[in-house]
Amino acid sequence: MPFIETKNLSFTYTDEDDPQPVLHEVSLSFEKGEFVAILGRNGSGKSTFAKLLNLVLEATDGTITIDGKSVHAELSEAEIIDLRKKVGMVFQNPDNQLVATVVEEDVAFGPENLGIEPAEIRRRVDEALEIVGMTDYARHAPHKLSGGQKQRIAIAGVIAMLPDCILFDESTAMLDPRGRAEVMETVEKLNREQGITVLLITHNMDEAVRADRVVVIDDGRVQMDGTPREVFAKVDELFALGLAVPQATELAARLELSGVPLTPVEGADAVENWFNT
Amino acid sequence: MKLELKNLSYTYSGGTTFARQAVDDVSAVIREGSITGIIGHTGSGKSTLVQMMNGLLTPSSGEVLLDGVNIFSDKKTLRDARFKVGLVFQYPEYQLFEETVAKDIGFGPKNQKLSPEEIATRTLEAADFVGLDRELLGKSPFDLSGGQKRRVAIAGVMAMRPPILILDEPASGLDPVGREEIFGGLCRYRDQTGATVVIVSHSMEDMARYAEDILVMSDSRLLLSGSRDEIFKNADLLCSVGLDVPEVTHLISELRRRGYDLPDNIYTVEGAEAALRALKAKLQREGATGC
Repeated sequence: MPFIETKNLSFTYTDEDDPQPVLHEVSLSFEKGEFVAILGRNGSGKSTFAKLLNLVLEATDGTITIDGKSVHAELSEAEIIDLRKKVGMVFQNPDNQLVATVVEEDVAFGPENLGIEPAEIRRRVDEALEIVGMTDYARHAPHKLSGGQKQRIAIAGVIAMLPDCILFDESTAMLDPRGRAEVMETVEKLNREQGITVLLITHNMDEAVRADRVVVIDDGRVQMDGTPREVFAKVDELFALGLAVPQATELAARLELSGVPLTPVEGADAVENWFNT
Repeated sequence: MKLELKNLSYTYSGGTTFARQAVDDVSAVIREGSITGIIGHTGSGKSTLVQMMNGLLTPSSGEVLLDGVNIFSDKKTLRDARFKVGLVFQYPEYQLFEETVAKDIGFGPKNQKLSPEEIATRTLEAADFVGLDRELLGKSPFDLSGGQKRRVAIAGVMAMRPPILILDEPASGLDPVGREEIFGGLCRYRDQTGATVVIVSHSMEDMARYAEDILVMSDSRLLLSGSRDEIFKNADLLCSVGLDVPEVTHLISELRRRGYDLPDNIYTVEGAEAALRALKAKLQREGATGC
């Protein structure tokens, strides 16, 4: 059974006399432990999809099942909290997600709100900071950290709630190259070592190639779904959708090389093969 | 218009125990009519630096010279400088507030006390610069997409026709097409008005594509400045200060490491394609003559 399953999921923003449909019958399932990148233009509906999975929005039509439990309007407060704990979210702007003046207090904020006992909170905070590699900063002030460090603290705050799945909504968009690299390393580690299911919404194609699977959403519909190599092989279709491909893939397509290189090293291999033919 | 920075420094909370030097002795000349990029890690001082360029922040020491005149010399010069140096902040779309797109774009020229006819002309011109459909001018800015709103906000500054236009992360959070629309608009503005455009960015790929000159900030200081080619040659140094070079440059470096004779100044996919085709042809010629 998939960890998350949506069936014919639709959503329309009800704006008085001008309803705006943003998602049309999206049926997707995500297995436990998968690392899935979700690509789409601004306004394609991908963030709305994320908000539906985190129960911030309520579907207009269709169903969502999370860990075998179906999401519906009659859920009690306790049931909603329980489901939200399973799917954590990390947003774009690190400054909007940090609430405390000391790093470890910030990480403890979530579990404290869940009424967890202090000893257990202590254990979870230490472990979460360890996982994101920020143990040495436990007593620092968050506002003095770099963008990548702040995002890792935000991630630690989510981990401390022990989610099964984390949704990253363009979490690297505001970071410098090193910050992006730090966050992506953390994301991969969470997936590989902690077995956390990762859904990564991004505009950066070099981040998407690190996933096991890439889903492309356009105009509220799933347009492509496959391994990074299967999806990025469709260079012309992706450009037509207003998206891009990794630079190595684009270069190979222009030179009409065989194969679909995704990284600089794979690109160099493909070029070398071409030189030798 | 020539923009020159002379020994610029800025200290936040100066004179207190919280004092923090954000910009430390930066001197640079921004070439007139250039598209100049400013890159640097988070907290390197980029945003503080550009806020001094239009007089929004007063430097702790040093000068900002516009055609040789220090903009901080008196109140009038400072006020003039704010119109000559247009500054677009990050996420400028949050600052839209008028009823229509046209009014929002025309707000700056109105403040400049231009005639209604001139405001109308400037509004249309600015909409064209950023590639905004004129049919959108009568709409509420809040009915537009994120990318369109961003372009309205940028057009609002362009409508004042500043000879120097500075933008802090103008394409952040936009999809590839949205990014191209923004940068296309900035290039058109420069090409048609001869203005200087300064862009703060974290995207090495965008800088490789659009910037002609680049300033590199690191830990409050100016680490490097020069043409795009001169800057991106320092791949190791850039990586050591939290930056990077474009992916395609890594690909070409990998081939150079494997012994292929390729130039070391390739930063775009187009440039890589041309260089690789040339090398392939050369290898085939050599193969044919048996060398």
